[in-house]
Amino acid sequence: MESLRDIRQQIKAIKSTQQIMLTMKMISSARIKKAQEQMEQGRPFAQKMAVMIDNLRHDIEDPTSAIHSSPAYKFFDNTGTDPNARALIMITADKGLCGAFNTVVIRETLKWIRQNDDKEKYIFVIGKKGRDFLRRLKAPRTTIIGELIGIFPKASYAHASIIKDAIVKVGFQKKVGVFDIIYNDFKSMASQNLINKTFLPFDFDEIPGQEDLSNFIFEPNMLEIFLTLIPRFMTATIYRFLLESQAAELAARMNAMEAASKNAGEIIDGLSVKLNKVRQESITNEITEIVSGVEALKN
Amino acid sequence: MDKKLRLQIITPQRPVLDKEVDFVALPAYEGEMGVLPGHIQYVAKLNYGILRYKAGEEEGTFAVMGGFAEIEHNTVSVFAEDAALEEEIDEEAEKQRLEQAKATLSGKGNELDIELAEIEIKRALLLLKVKNHKSKF
Repeated sequence: MESLRDIRQQIKAIKSTQQIMLTMKMISSARIKKAQEQMEQGRPFAQKMAVMIDNLRHDIEDPTSAIHSSPAYKFFDNTGTDPNARALIMITADKGLCGAFNTVVIRETLKWIRQNDDKEKYIFVIGKKGRDFLRRLKAPRTTIIGELIGIFPKASYAHASIIKDAIVKVGFQKKVGVFDIIYNDFKSMASQNLINKTFLPFDFDEIPGQEDLSNFIFEPNMLEIFLTLIPRFMTATIYRFLLESQAAELAARMNAMEAASKNAGEIIDGLSVKLNKVRQESITNEITEIVSGVEALKN
Repeated sequence: MDKKLRLQIITPQRPVLDKEVDFVALPAYEGEMGVLPGHIQYVAKLNYGILRYKAGEEEGTFAVMGGFAEIEHNTVSVFAEDAALEEEIDEEAEKQRLEQAKATLSGKGNELDIELAEIEIKRALLLLKVKNHKSKF
């Protein structure tokens, strides 16, 4: 049987773990407000970029326009690219202790790698967990084209810009036309959605637009504006993915830590009951011993 | 002149400014470009440079980093990578950042640090330029 001291020590250890979990939960919930704010603040820019792109749709799809014949057109149509190459942007967290957050992304990535088994694969990975996974996996015909570690919870537009540069580079050098993205979307404080979708080529139907730019004057010209617009739109979109994942990670950690500290509390309750039982038993034993000692002396 | 312009400066990080003004000077790609109310619909590519505006007696100067501006129905929307109001620029802090970024470049940083440092240098140089810029209204 466990001694009183053992049980007391166990309770103490679990209590201090619980304290750490509660602190982590508090840190996450403090940061999540900032992360949400960041998402909110970045929205107008991303939206406007999308609207502008959509407004140029007519010129993009017109085969006689300068835009159509520019190399940037490949981001809208993957003809002429290598059908046996595919790229992926994978966003995980740097740290664990956030429930299934990393696991779902890793599982989905594994699925993606299997689906594209026969293809040349290029992966840009964000987050230490995903990087470590890919390094361990050493999948055949898979190249890690870049990695960003330690950017959360301070993901910035500059980081998104680095990712954009890397994927544009691989897009042109390796003739990759299709870029997928796997990340966790921040749905609400309580839930995150795993997203696996095609990021490039762009899907016009996803972009809202309403204005007509036909009577606008472009300086220096429309193509030049378009070439300015495209990288910014891509970066703004990637930036949004980063922020979504950042907020989702914090929310996941908050929930995981809350559940964990609740479980710890239940274990502590169980142990306290056990502790009292053991203590009472030992008291009963002592009393019995004293009483029987007294009885023995009487005789 | 009773009509006014609405000047919006939006960056990926946050909307920086939304204000009624009389006049805006943009750092357009092919030289500085002045905008008054009633301007034709226009989309202009922007350089790294100085944006000035005048609202009544008030004058403002911004450092604007790339992007483009859209002028439509007396609204000037500036979409820049980053923008900073002249008064909010801390000269000493920017100088220190510049030094730090230069040190990173000359040192043996990894690729990521170097790329970030390059962005930092470009930004710090512009901010310092804007800080030392004398208003020319």
